[in-house]
Amino acid sequence: MRKAKVILILIILFCIIYFLQTNFFSWFNIGGIMPNLFVILVLFIGLFVGNKVGGILGIIFGIVLDLTIGHYVGVSSVFLALIGLLGEYFDKNFSKDSRATIIIMSAGSTVIYELGIYVSKILIMGVNAEFLTFTLTVLVEILFNVLLIIIIYPLMKKLGYYIEDAFKGKKILTRYF
Amino acid sequence: MKNKAGIIGIIITVIILIIVVILSNISTGNLSFMQSAVGTIVTPIQNGIIFLKNKIAGNEQELNDIATLRDENNKLKEENSKLQEQVRELEILKSENNTLKEYVNLKDKYSNYTTVPAYVIQRSISNYDKIIIINVGSDDGIEVNMPVISESGLVGHIISVTNNTAKVQTIIDTASSVSANISNVQESVVLRGTLNNTNTLKATYIPTDSTILQGDSVVTSGLGGIYPKGILIGNVKSVINTKNQSDRYAEIEVSTDFSNLETVLVITEK
Repeated sequence: MRKAKVILILIILFCIIYFLQTNFFSWFNIGGIMPNLFVILVLFIGLFVGNKVGGILGIIFGIVLDLTIGHYVGVSSVFLALIGLLGEYFDKNFSKDSRATIIIMSAGSTVIYELGIYVSKILIMGVNAEFLTFTLTVLVEILFNVLLIIIIYPLMKKLGYYIEDAFKGKKILTRYF
Repeated sequence: MKNKAGIIGIIITVIILIIVVILSNISTGNLSFMQSAVGTIVTPIQNGIIFLKNKIAGNEQELNDIATLRDENNKLKEENSKLQEQVRELEILKSENNTLKEYVNLKDKYSNYTTVPAYVIQRSISNYDKIIIINVGSDDGIEVNMPVISESGLVGHIISVTNNTAKVQTIIDTASSVSANISNVQESVVLRGTLNNTNTLKATYIPTDSTILQGDSVVTSGLGGIYPKGILIGNVKSVINTKNQSDRYAEIEVSTDFSNLETVLVITEK
């Protein structure tokens, strides 16, 4: 029951982010560049819930995005699923209690996701490669994501531990003893 | 312990005494700042007391005036809210009127084609795609590969359709390529969207012997089977010459303002 409630919360979060990305950030942007909150959401799920749920929800969210506003179905889902899987790897190797670590993780995830999507576009659709412009765009996007994480970090942490508790139960850090 | 407290008490008393002595020996002229400070505190209290006194003394006139003013104020507030509502209604009508005018202008301009008007209801969520969603779909006769135009020129073409919506790949999308003619050039060129600018396209495959000038108009060539011939795309912004003449390209400024695009027409029959 509690797990179902958490899944529902995550779906609501996806809807809120979808609304923000399609409406709010179309005018609240840095030089026309929007943040990518979907990457943060899937990374968050992978970190606090685990790679299975992160991967599955990454695929579902990606399919929804590709169906509604993407070129091809499947590209976003593959890379969002990858971010979901990476979330648990990050959780095992780094501390999510530090704001700085979360910022670095989200920056890395944004690069992986956007690079994957862009290279796929080049390979599938024959788009001209403009790596300099792409790099500058990704850097601004990362900056935007980082600023948003700094603002929402306390909320993220609180909700994250609630979700983690629902899925994994209270955690005892035995590896430190 | 008791002695210590006593000593502190004595010291405090001595200090208070010294202060009182000093203050009592300073002439009132030197204390104007203190007077004004005290005045600032006391005057409102005094005014309040006088007001209460008047009220208690049965100053009915004043009370009546307040009641009249209150009534008047309520009436004005009501009137103000009604006026505000009217302004809002007028604004809505004005915006509707503008939209209808846009449709009429569009219809007149492209009267040779059978078209379906539509609103842009959603824009791309990514920094690397320039796709829009419009509010017409297969129920309105929309099909994949139909061209989409605006009052200012070419917008793009339909890439997928649902019953009530359609996805449009705009010409500024990096995956888009359009065959076009530049006014002075006989052969067609290829226009592609770029990542770094949402208002310019890159024109490639420019014939080596052709002369392109800044400001030349660019229209669709009709090749490729999607876009009909002669739809305005934009104007030449600049020509970038390279060492190899065949690699030179031109920047085309699109005539459609994609950031403020709201109404479009889908050409259903060419």
